[in-house]
Amino acid sequence: MVAAIREGDVTEKAPVKASDARSTPSPPGDAVAREDLLRARDRLKVVVTRASGRNLKLLWLLAGPGVLVMLGENDGPSMVSYATTGARFGIGFFVPFILLTFLMAFAVQEMTVRLGAATQRGHAELIFQRFGPFWGYFAMGDLVFGNILTLATEFIALQAGGLYFGLPSWLSVGLGVMLVAGSMAMRRYATWERLLMGLAVFNLLFIPAALYAHPSGAALLRAAATWGPLPGGVGNAFLTLVLANIGATVTPWMIFFQQSAVVDKGMTPADVAQGRMDTAVGGGLAAMAAIAAVVATTPLFAAHVDISNFASGADFATALRPLIGTTGATLFALGILEAGLVAAMTIATSSSYALAETLSARSSLNLSFSEGKLFYGAALASTVIAAGIVLIPGAPLLAMTLTVNVIATLLMAPALLFLVLLVNDREIMGPLANGWRGNLVGGGIVVAISLVGALYGVTTIFPGLLGK
Amino acid sequence: MTDQEALDALEPAQLSLAAGTPLPRRKLGRGTLALLVLLRIYVLIAVPLIAYAFFKAL
Repeated sequence: MVAAIREGDVTEKAPVKASDARSTPSPPGDAVAREDLLRARDRLKVVVTRASGRNLKLLWLLAGPGVLVMLGENDGPSMVSYATTGARFGIGFFVPFILLTFLMAFAVQEMTVRLGAATQRGHAELIFQRFGPFWGYFAMGDLVFGNILTLATEFIALQAGGLYFGLPSWLSVGLGVMLVAGSMAMRRYATWERLLMGLAVFNLLFIPAALYAHPSGAALLRAAATWGPLPGGVGNAFLTLVLANIGATVTPWMIFFQQSAVVDKGMTPADVAQGRMDTAVGGGLAAMAAIAAVVATTPLFAAHVDISNFASGADFATALRPLIGTTGATLFALGILEAGLVAAMTIATSSSYALAETLSARSSLNLSFSEGKLFYGAALASTVIAAGIVLIPGAPLLAMTLTVNVIATLLMAPALLFLVLLVNDREIMGPLANGWRGNLVGGGIVVAISLVGALYGVTTIFPGLLGK
Repeated sequence: MTDQEALDALEPAQLSLAAGTPLPRRKLGRGTLALLVLLRIYVLIAVPLIAYAFFKAL
């Protein structure tokens, strides 16, 4: 008979050898956590499907963390970056460049799949345990602080999208909070994941919106082949958008979220191939949506519309209405709403995972409320705080948006450094550790993203640094 | 299918009891230690920059 386990049953903290952690004996048969039982039921489906050789169904069962992290990163501020890119430069250099940024994101996120599958630990937990409390608290602190501000920018996107449809701010923000809280109230990872995947598909609304802009297929092919044209050449605006687009594709919360989600889903080293496919599919879909946002706003570039005073995605949708029609503009505004909502759900969960892992509390979307007070409480508290900030009359929303970009980019370097150190830690990674090829590609990308991220952060603070 | 049959599908390290057992600290080589010292310096520079960015944007 399976009985519910008590909180105290899982809080023993005797250190074990890293190499032994993967072979810790099972708990007594009469003390099974709800979390374990739910994960085991999902896991059994995977085992049975793998044995039956149904590869597509296996991929479907193991998909989720990669798709969610990639489509989640196409959030409100990121879509505004892509829209700004289209309105300033049209179809050209940035089409292949965005594809390249998603390839870089794939290389980074693939490492988190291996880390999660090999260690069965979240990212914050691994940093804390392997590098000590200083770096553990630092990683958790900067993530949670950055995530609260990022969550606020997602609610700004929800607010802006709602205003396009005539909804008052309090209603769209309130609905957003209810949806984030409601998704977590399911207390079931698999249900939460499938709900979010269903919502995240609406990120592809930018594709029909782009079709309403009647893009030239020849121009798209020429851009992909020649990395051009680049109207205005290389200037401050160009470099800022290069950096913003990189910042819109790889951010610290993605690393923490995907690794913890891989663990929560119950993926093992046998599932790494499917985890890679999941991440690649997610990256492909997100790249299509991002490029579609660039294409959809290209009519603003052609019509020489001044976007310097645009503050949100809703401004782009309003300006697009006379150019691509009401349907196209409405699809664009709905895409912005979706971007804010899905990102709010994933980012709130990422904060919960990191906080609970660092404080040695249990962290899973399979926990009951009584087992996961800290886990669910952190998500709810960060969501309510972020939503509350947005609704404060006269709140410095622009300052927050700017600070979010600066935090995400400046703190990308530490996050990536720990990722590379952990994925090279053979004691915990075993055969899934990075080889020299992985380090060459992954390390190169990490160095490039870190330098560019730091440059973006510094130029955001000192805009005159790159000249005019 | 019984719950015990389902639980057999999990690897031992996937059980919450195993996850509650911390890993030991990593023994750091000189290269890694040097990287972490550099990282501390980077953080000391980055944190005031973030604070400056926020107050400047207010």
